[in-house]
Amino acid sequence: MFRPTLDDHKVIGVYTGKVVLGVGMLMLVPLVTALVFAEWDTAVDFGIGLMACLAVGFGLQAICHTERELRRAQGLVVVSASWILATLLGAIPFILSGHIGGMVDAVFDVMSGLTTTGLYLIQDLDHVSNGLNMWRFVLTFAGGQGIVVIALTFLFKGVGGGIYQLYAGEGKEDRLMPNVVHTARAIWLVSLVWLAVGTGALTVTALALGQEPVRAVLHGLWTFMGAFSTGGFAPQSFNTVWYHSVVFEVLCIIIFVAGSLNFAVHWAVWTGDRAELKRNIETRSFALTMALFVLVAAIGLARAGVYPDAVAFVRKVFYVVASAHTTTGFATIYSRATVTQWGPLAMIGLIGAMVIGASSASTAGGIKGFRVGVITKAFVQDIRRMVSPDSAVVISRYHHIKDRVLNDATVRSALAISVAFLTMHALVTMVGVYCGYPVVEAAFEGISAGSNTGLSCGLLAPSTPDGLKALYTLAMWLGRLEFMAVFALIGWGWSAVRGR
Amino acid sequence: MRARALGYVLAAALVALTCAAPGLAHAATPSSADLVEDPTAWDGQTIEFTGEAIGEAMSRGDEVWLHLNDDAYARGTIEEGGPLSGYNSGHAVVVPPQMAERVTVFGDHKHRGDLVRVTGVFSAACSEHGGDMDIHASALAVVERGHDVTDPVATGKLWALAITTGLALLTAGAYLARRRPY
Ligand SMILES: [Zn+2]
Repeated sequence: MFRPTLDDHKVIGVYTGKVVLGVGMLMLVPLVTALVFAEWDTAVDFGIGLMACLAVGFGLQAICHTERELRRAQGLVVVSASWILATLLGAIPFILSGHIGGMVDAVFDVMSGLTTTGLYLIQDLDHVSNGLNMWRFVLTFAGGQGIVVIALTFLFKGVGGGIYQLYAGEGKEDRLMPNVVHTARAIWLVSLVWLAVGTGALTVTALALGQEPVRAVLHGLWTFMGAFSTGGFAPQSFNTVWYHSVVFEVLCIIIFVAGSLNFAVHWAVWTGDRAELKRNIETRSFALTMALFVLVAAIGLARAGVYPDAVAFVRKVFYVVASAHTTTGFATIYSRATVTQWGPLAMIGLIGAMVIGASSASTAGGIKGFRVGVITKAFVQDIRRMVSPDSAVVISRYHHIKDRVLNDATVRSALAISVAFLTMHALVTMVGVYCGYPVVEAAFEGISAGSNTGLSCGLLAPSTPDGLKALYTLAMWLGRLEFMAVFALIGWGWSAVRGR
Repeated sequence: MRARALGYVLAAALVALTCAAPGLAHAATPSSADLVEDPTAWDGQTIEFTGEAIGEAMSRGDEVWLHLNDDAYARGTIEEGGPLSGYNSGHAVVVPPQMAERVTVFGDHKHRGDLVRVTGVFSAACSEHGGDMDIHASALAVVERGHDVTDPVATGKLWALAITTGLALLTAGAYLARRRPY
């Protein structure tokens, strides 16, 4: 472990300051929205938030002024420190709005947005201003892209060797191009095209469903942002129950499945390699586990006998399981209906889907299809070794952009992160049970947080104990940054203290 | 379990009452929480449901979707000075177009919506509407007309804005001064 010097702290301060300025720039979007809709009170809230970001961002850069470049060891710490400051500053407009129970709740909602989870504690959502609602979706969209990646694309110039660490720290380790900044811009290009097309399709549908033009545009944009970032925030408290439309549901599924794909796969398809979709280890793993969990949920629901006809049955099961598996969190059933209609077996199917989650280097959460695929292949390889003659060399291959040979280092890191996820889920579930909730509900809600899904079975509410809310906030953060960046911050803090 | 048993007894009692005196029977008035907590017991029952019309009426030819919130905010939104009292809670309702026309104010940031009372049949998983939980209304009345809501800027916030702006200018100055020392 390295012992940080004053210069190390300064470099971290400078880059964290830059990211905070980026968060301030993001606040311009809700600020302008509030002005357009003449929501003066909301506009002032965001004015205060913006100025606070500028003060902290410039302040950090002035205090920590240094000519040094960012190095590898500092990258992960910058990511974690940026997320903490972004969460605290992003909470300001929530608190000022009067729609939130307190600091714990406000931090929870911002973390839920940035981690693309989708659980929320905001109260009277149905009377919230368009400005504040816009902020919820900007948080979730920006968080999905990676707030550091955003700052990286627009604000950083000539960063040293630590830049890749910044990028990987937010779970985007796949490099599409040799230059990380070019990769980040490529991701933006793909995302913005999806944004335009997806918002357009949803808006037209919303108009046809009977929404007024302005509301149709807002709902189209926000639903897109909630879906593509696999976030799960929705503009109304009814979530996507609001729309009562199979067309709208199909569009949502297309968008959140697209959002849950690895950006490297997007890029391959974008540049003409459609076969990648069928051959990629993650899309294959996702298709298999999706089929499995649809089956589990379907058996549970068939036993409960909830849905009267086949069409309704397929529509509900597929939508909610796909939403869980892509870790989106949109629902076409009321939260409590998960318990009172779907019942424990279907809930276990959803829990399994959430635990595994979708692709790495996407906005999705969970263990990820890549790790599940790699671990499964390693398991099969071991069995093949056992039944092969001693002299035989058993090689296992997988496809991710190119054909690769499975090696022990890949399996080892996949297992380590998977075990970390499972341990976290077990601990969070235990605390939920300790707080007095039934075990299936405690597991459902806790895993929904830790896998950045956002489906709720109605356990979470503003009246939930603060300790449990804080634990869920931590779980969302750990899950989104896949532990490493958070542990790097803790290690940095520890060695800084020890160094004195 | 006890709540569910009670629900069945209640439902049975309702059926008996409706059969015995169809003209006199008064529909039960479950809340949205009651309905979602025990959908099976209420399935197929004629109920009365009152809530604030939210968002918009979504017209789909010969039927219109309304969303009625029966939470505390239906009697006073936060912008009106109503207290924080948890999440929104409500239910989706399908009504014929001529009834939907009576609802004119819908709840959002700048409005408290009409308080609407409907009588209709509750479905735990409606076969006409893709398995959605809904109420098919056969009667609708506006109990209380909605109104505009204003959300004035508090003076305290303007002070906070002035102070944070001052700080931002100060730090931006310091940052620029350190970047270009001379
Ligand atoms: Zn229906």
